[in-house]
Amino acid sequence: MPYRQIQTIGGRGSSPDRFTEALRGIDVDRGGCLYAVGDSELKVFGPDGVLQRRWITEKPGWSVCVTSGTDPVIYVGQEGQVQQFDVGGRCRSTLKDDARLGLVTSVDVFGEFLLFGDVAHRCIHRYDRSGRFVNDIGRDSKAKGFLIPNGHLDFRVDDRGIIHVPNPGRHRIERYTPDGRLQGHIGRFSGTDPAGFSGCCNPTNLALWGQGNLVVTEKAPPRVKVFDTGGNLRSAFGTEAFDPNGKNMDVAVSARGAIYVVDTVRLQVCVFAAVDAPG
Amino acid sequence: MSKEPTRRDVLGHAARGAGLVTLGGAAAYLAAKRGRADAWQIDWSKCVNSRLGATGVPACDKCATTCVLPLSAVRAVNEYAKCGRCYICPAYFDVTSPVDKDGLPSKKLCPRDAITRRPIGEIDPHDPANNYYEYLIDEARCNGCGKCVMACKEPAGLGSIRLEVRHDLCLDCNRCPIAVACPDDAYIRVPTGTAPFAREHA
Amino acid sequence: MPEQRNLNLTGGHWGSSSKPGTTRFVTLVWLGLAGWPGDLLADYKRPVDAAPSPKDIGGGYVTPQVQRPLPRSVWWRTADVVLLGAAMGIGAWIVLRRRNRNALIVLTVGCLVYFGFHRKGCICPVGSIQNVAVALTDSNYAVGYVVVATFFLPLVMALLFGRVFCGGVCPLGGIQDLVLLRPVQVPRRLDKMLGLLRYVYLLAAIGLAVQPAVDRDFIICRFDPFVGFFRRTGTAEMLLTGGGILVAAMFVGRLYCRYLCPYGAVLSVLSRWAWKSVSITPSDELDCGLCHEACPYGAIENMRAVRSSCLCCARCFRYCPVHRTEGSGIHRDKRDAPSERGAPP
Repeated sequence: MPYRQIQTIGGRGSSPDRFTEALRGIDVDRGGCLYAVGDSELKVFGPDGVLQRRWITEKPGWSVCVTSGTDPVIYVGQEGQVQQFDVGGRCRSTLKDDARLGLVTSVDVFGEFLLFGDVAHRCIHRYDRSGRFVNDIGRDSKAKGFLIPNGHLDFRVDDRGIIHVPNPGRHRIERYTPDGRLQGHIGRFSGTDPAGFSGCCNPTNLALWGQGNLVVTEKAPPRVKVFDTGGNLRSAFGTEAFDPNGKNMDVAVSARGAIYVVDTVRLQVCVFAAVDAPG
Repeated sequence: MSKEPTRRDVLGHAARGAGLVTLGGAAAYLAAKRGRADAWQIDWSKCVNSRLGATGVPACDKCATTCVLPLSAVRAVNEYAKCGRCYICPAYFDVTSPVDKDGLPSKKLCPRDAITRRPIGEIDPHDPANNYYEYLIDEARCNGCGKCVMACKEPAGLGSIRLEVRHDLCLDCNRCPIAVACPDDAYIRVPTGTAPFAREHA
Repeated sequence: MPEQRNLNLTGGHWGSSSKPGTTRFVTLVWLGLAGWPGDLLADYKRPVDAAPSPKDIGGGYVTPQVQRPLPRSVWWRTADVVLLGAAMGIGAWIVLRRRNRNALIVLTVGCLVYFGFHRKGCICPVGSIQNVAVALTDSNYAVGYVVVATFFLPLVMALLFGRVFCGGVCPLGGIQDLVLLRPVQVPRRLDKMLGLLRYVYLLAAIGLAVQPAVDRDFIICRFDPFVGFFRRTGTAEMLLTGGGILVAAMFVGRLYCRYLCPYGAVLSVLSRWAWKSVSITPSDELDCGLCHEACPYGAIENMRAVRSSCLCCARCFRYCPVHRTEGSGIHRDKRDAPSERGAPP
């Protein structure tokens, strides 16, 4: 299924709608608004790519997650803590756990539970909404965690509660139950076959779409791959759209199936849509 | 032969004396002028094999081919503290080669087979990927061709392998052919004892 | 020489680059005007501490140290200098006192093997002219004791005993001396004119060495004809040139030394005032002129060795009848061949 680039949001610069130092995490809400963190700010862009609002985060943000529902909550993963904002930008609470939380490079929510991907400890922590720690996911391997040479742990939870985690050092995407049991994995190393993952540590980031479709990003060369539930490759694209040094490119998918990918060198978000998709 | 010093003899003595004094004085001045001893080294931020941003170019092997010694004094060095210790290392394996039945690439990258791969600790034979691996470069074999350096460079790897001049081998030529041939002006004189890699700003 | 470089990478700021040529400046200005996004190093943010630490690896793993071997100890290089001085002292004794060609051959071969093939001809007094010239003119540049000694010791010996460095010690001269087969006497005027080339080379070498670091060129090192043999490797041009000069040196004795060597130019100036120099006979001159035929380097004029051109090769002694006189008290060679043309091996 071919994709084409339809939009570019952000970029490097000093104006309010641009980023100066870093652009690290994104998420897209149901309305198609893009939430992007990097520097020490969270910026919200409308579906047309225009900056709607922005606010300061206490520390540079590494990841962002927007919940759906009537009162969306925005979680921003930072170093050692996770801040919780409402849509107006007011900080409702800050979850700190210095002993346990390292660098939170991904956040997701499932039901009553908050899940934080911590690259310093190479695992996913599960907390409940009140901030109480429940369990770790991914610690049980011999390597005592995921193999993440790139310094960015990403994951997503699907609507059945299964956690999909790219494990880059093992060139596969693993599935865990919320209490930490490995259910299965898809993907394998291959230097030549596009359905496999090449290099030393790929894929780096992941997003879920529709009924179990996986969208992953890779580095060296940077590209986006779409897999279906059976682990079959449906599309691979985007190499020419990114700076070749891009790494740990966060990805999010809108409700309409548009794929948003961060270019971490050019500090912009590229938006792709399927060629036969409407609009 | 006459024992009386002739004028010629006196002039000769005087010239000799003056010459010796001049030479001695110049030697003393130069020896006292304490500069730092310096040596050739590779500036990794300019070398195309390791500088960030130069992707998609073939590895530059001038360090290996232009050194006056039969086996170049330049070596690839793995900075262990920065090595990812990955199961599939792009500097050890040729990651574009076909995958064999064990799931590993079938070919190695180093043309002289100078890198050895060792699992750290005991490995589970059913799950060898779930382990860290150490990569060591055999300096007796490495000739500084730079292939592993380019393969380890960010973003493909973590950039822990750099090319360094080995000062126990380098002849310290006044006119180093590598310095002349380097297309990036990366071959420079530095004070001896400069640590080639200072702590990087993350 | 560039000032101390700071090799800390902090967002792409470096000390002065090694070649601040105008072309580079213009390129940067052009790129800046064209809106280049800036230093890629500053753009690229590496994740913090991405590499696994020993704590992550566990099992008592300790990160191994990266080896950084140190250069040869200064004591070895000092030993080289001591050997140089000792070799010249021995050479002076052989040439001025013992007057024995065979002993000098042994010394020549020994020095050729050690300073030439083992040390690969580097560092040598000939090239050190450039380093000393730079050290005298560039305030940022200094040479160590070893280079100073390597440069000045043969000069001091020249003032005292003549060109004993050339005689038995210099590997460049030694290799030519040992291949000499059938010397051709070069006409005096031609010899003197060609000898001026040494001064041209000397001035060119100094002139190019004292340039600022970006334009500096060490041409003596670049055009050293024999270093390819000493290193046992080299480009085709180097080896062919060296081979060509060696072939020529089989007939025109010590071609490089007499007509090209810049250090020889300095030595020939200084040795004019040598305190002791080669006297072919230990006692009265017979003025027979036999030595004149023996000298392959045209250094004997008016039956006396000319200090500035005498390369202390000790060949003349073999042809001096005074030496071969019984009871003269001088140690003689086993081989007397007074009427044989050509130099002894």
